[in-house]
Amino acid sequence: MASAPAGTLVERLAARAGPGALVRAGEDEDAVDGVRPRLLAAPASGEALAAALAWAASEGLSVRVSGGGTKQDWGAPGAAVDLLLSTAALSAVVEHRHGDLTATVEAGATLAAVNAALGAHGQRLPWDPPWPERATIGGVVATNDSGSLRHGHGAPRDSIIGVTMARGDGRVAKAGGIVVKNVAGYDLARLLTGSFGCLGVILTATFKLAPAPPASRTVEIGVDSLEAAAPIAADLAGSPLTPAALEVASAPDRLLIRFESVEASVVQQAEAARAIAAGRGSAAVLGGEDERAAWDRHAAHWSPGATLVKLSTVPAELFPTLVWLRDRAAADGLRAAAAGRAGLGVVDVRLAGPAAAQARLVRALRDRLPPGRGSAVLRRGAPELRREVDAWGPIGDGMRVMTAIKRQFDPAGLLNAGRGPGGL
Amino acid sequence: MDRRFLAELERIVGADGVVRDDGELLTYETDGLVKLRSRPGAAVLPASADQVQRVVRLCHDNHVPFVARGQGTGLSGGALPHPDGVLIVMTRMNRILDVDLPNRRITVEPGVMNLDVSKAVAAAGYYYAPDPSSQVICSIGGNLAENSGGAHCLKYGFTVHHVLGVEAVLPDGELLRLGGPALDPPGLDLLGVLVGSEGTLAVVTKVVLNLLRKPAAVETLLAAFDSTEAAGNAVSGIIGAGIIPAAVEMMDRVTIEAAEAAVHPDFPRTEAILIVELDGAEADVSALFTRVEEVCREAAASEIRIARTAAQRARFWQGRKAAFAAMGRVSPSYYVQDGVIPRTRLPEVLGRIRGLSDRSGLKIGNVFHAGDGNLHPLVCYDERVAGQADLAQEVASEILTYCLDAGGSITGEHGVGADKAEHLPKMFSEDDLDTMQLVRCAFDPGYICNPGKVFPTPRLCGEVPGPYRRHPAEAAGLAERV
Repeated sequence: MASAPAGTLVERLAARAGPGALVRAGEDEDAVDGVRPRLLAAPASGEALAAALAWAASEGLSVRVSGGGTKQDWGAPGAAVDLLLSTAALSAVVEHRHGDLTATVEAGATLAAVNAALGAHGQRLPWDPPWPERATIGGVVATNDSGSLRHGHGAPRDSIIGVTMARGDGRVAKAGGIVVKNVAGYDLARLLTGSFGCLGVILTATFKLAPAPPASRTVEIGVDSLEAAAPIAADLAGSPLTPAALEVASAPDRLLIRFESVEASVVQQAEAARAIAAGRGSAAVLGGEDERAAWDRHAAHWSPGATLVKLSTVPAELFPTLVWLRDRAAADGLRAAAAGRAGLGVVDVRLAGPAAAQARLVRALRDRLPPGRGSAVLRRGAPELRREVDAWGPIGDGMRVMTAIKRQFDPAGLLNAGRGPGGL
Repeated sequence: MDRRFLAELERIVGADGVVRDDGELLTYETDGLVKLRSRPGAAVLPASADQVQRVVRLCHDNHVPFVARGQGTGLSGGALPHPDGVLIVMTRMNRILDVDLPNRRITVEPGVMNLDVSKAVAAAGYYYAPDPSSQVICSIGGNLAENSGGAHCLKYGFTVHHVLGVEAVLPDGELLRLGGPALDPPGLDLLGVLVGSEGTLAVVTKVVLNLLRKPAAVETLLAAFDSTEAAGNAVSGIIGAGIIPAAVEMMDRVTIEAAEAAVHPDFPRTEAILIVELDGAEADVSALFTRVEEVCREAAASEIRIARTAAQRARFWQGRKAAFAAMGRVSPSYYVQDGVIPRTRLPEVLGRIRGLSDRSGLKIGNVFHAGDGNLHPLVCYDERVAGQADLAQEVASEILTYCLDAGGSITGEHGVGADKAEHLPKMFSEDDLDTMQLVRCAFDPGYICNPGKVFPTPRLCGEVPGPYRRHPAEAAGLAERV
């Protein structure tokens, strides 16, 4: 860490961060987990951001990257950081090639803003992770975060076709391209997806898009218990229906299945889904305002205030695991609710209660999940919880190569240090 | 090759696992790109991951390069042997290890044929989505190395979208297990970069694949057009209508005639045909199929044929999938190019290819995945005519510059391999290639795993300079660095 006083650092940083950049000393509002960065910069171009990174590397300053700041408290608890580098000023939709169903966007653009722009040509990024008004493309990609539409459209990893990144040393590199099919060179775009910014800073990303569907219906299926939901979810997942989303939510226990297509298809498929659930739960076909309201209720699961643990299992093990979790949490005095992808086996568990009991639960969950057959990753949680239990859990023998990659990309360990998967 | 080294190999894989016979070695001199040939120092056929590990460790300890090879159907020389190295032939590792229908997963060894994966689960109503044209004879390991696509990847994606886990042997002989039947294993997405790395990072010994349920409905039509431009307009019209077909394939007059000569699919004799396939739920397919028909008519299709039976559909696809091999019927030799363009640039790029054909005097057939802009121009030549083979090579290279001019790629599915490494710098800057090779340095610092492929100039890996900062979490023992 450089020993120069922050005042001079701000001036030197301002000289590197390019015209139009916001540069200032860190303030309390910038703090993550109570740790205030010494400096903050929001460069106005990708080149300027790369120059700021090169400067930080030359000064030996540690850097933390931020977009909309919605997931800064995910992963390992924050260490002291010198420079908080914001992508917020990089918010342009660089190019929407609507005839090709692709778009290139800057990292700091929010998902909602991007989808509003793409909507002009009846297209969208088919993603619905939490907080779309604030979550940026860079942040959603860096965490590979997704929502209910992952069932039908995949995660960001499945849509990304190209990336431009700034390395820790300030060199700018690209991989992939603007075409949907391309196997030239290594797929760095996927490597960066889900890397939590520990290998480089995403400047722009290019995606294949989806047509915005003309019609939508959701069937909301209320059930008495998770045990009752399990066979219905299995029948829906095993049916020839093609839902865009198939969600489970607990307390109150229910399933949500959404169809997006032409009107005739969504009406017919929703009716078929309702028939599958008939007699085993209350099933209502929702459209319009009712449908929006149902999804708003569902989204409340991700509202601030409680721990979020991402639980992944093989699809057939999801419901048994959720039942175990419910009973175990209750026995240990915790409030637990789950919501997420019933067909894929990936849900977010919301926990509230004493940190020590939460940590016990996360560890017990991990003990149930053999490598490759599931994982429990602490996303959001109080700093004391994240100090108590490793955010990531066992990584397996890939850790050796992951560490080698981190060392290659960021030899001095200055970039989002400790925030990457496995504490990279 | 050193006699002691050969004896060691034989100790690992057994006498019948080492290929010594000159005639047999000839088989392994080349892959699907026959213009490049090289005799390996030795070829071995391991039967287990343990044997692969021991072979690789032996190579590592003796600084001997190695190349993994599946069925050898690759079209970019990715499995071209190293003359001083070991060719690791994976064909004996061809078992289906586990079929897990409740979770829609299948675990296979890399030597299993692509089509055999789907066959194993067909009766239960499932299939494996990536379907390269060579699916009868290409293996999953090679598919993984090349990130293979196929006609239906427009809607269903590539190999990288369907591989959930692997077991692989790293270039130092250590075992690497990534992912598994559950989604989202914590950690960097090494699987995402391993798939498509063309055998330069590790040797895969086991693969967990995702299975899809067979769609409830499939409709296929064939539309004939008076020009490739008109067919291209129909493609744009379909996509513009918000429809993502399962497949949209185009053939031009040259490839239609070749297919006709070879497998007699009874295609219309015209300038261009499109094969459009929709699949999914009944209601979607029936509504959207009508719309596709309308779009084709609006784009002045001279004829539209709808496959009424599975046999008719199979006939359409047989004609399309036979197109490469069928070129042998109309030309003594041909070179298959593989480039990608944004699909809206189809008419312009096809126009340039036509001009090139006229200027060079070489016939160029076009058969391609029109939906995703993946061109496969087939440059016809006669190697008995002095200079024509070289001319064909130049023409094929010229087509790549057209793809790059249009914002595309030098390869959509065949890979860079040995064939296109020299073209990669036309697409990527020095910094881009340097950054990609950081990954290589992490996996293979000794540069022994399929060296000379993909990148024209190897990056020196060396020791990483400077001290590495220990993160507080690591110091506290929460995160472990191995």
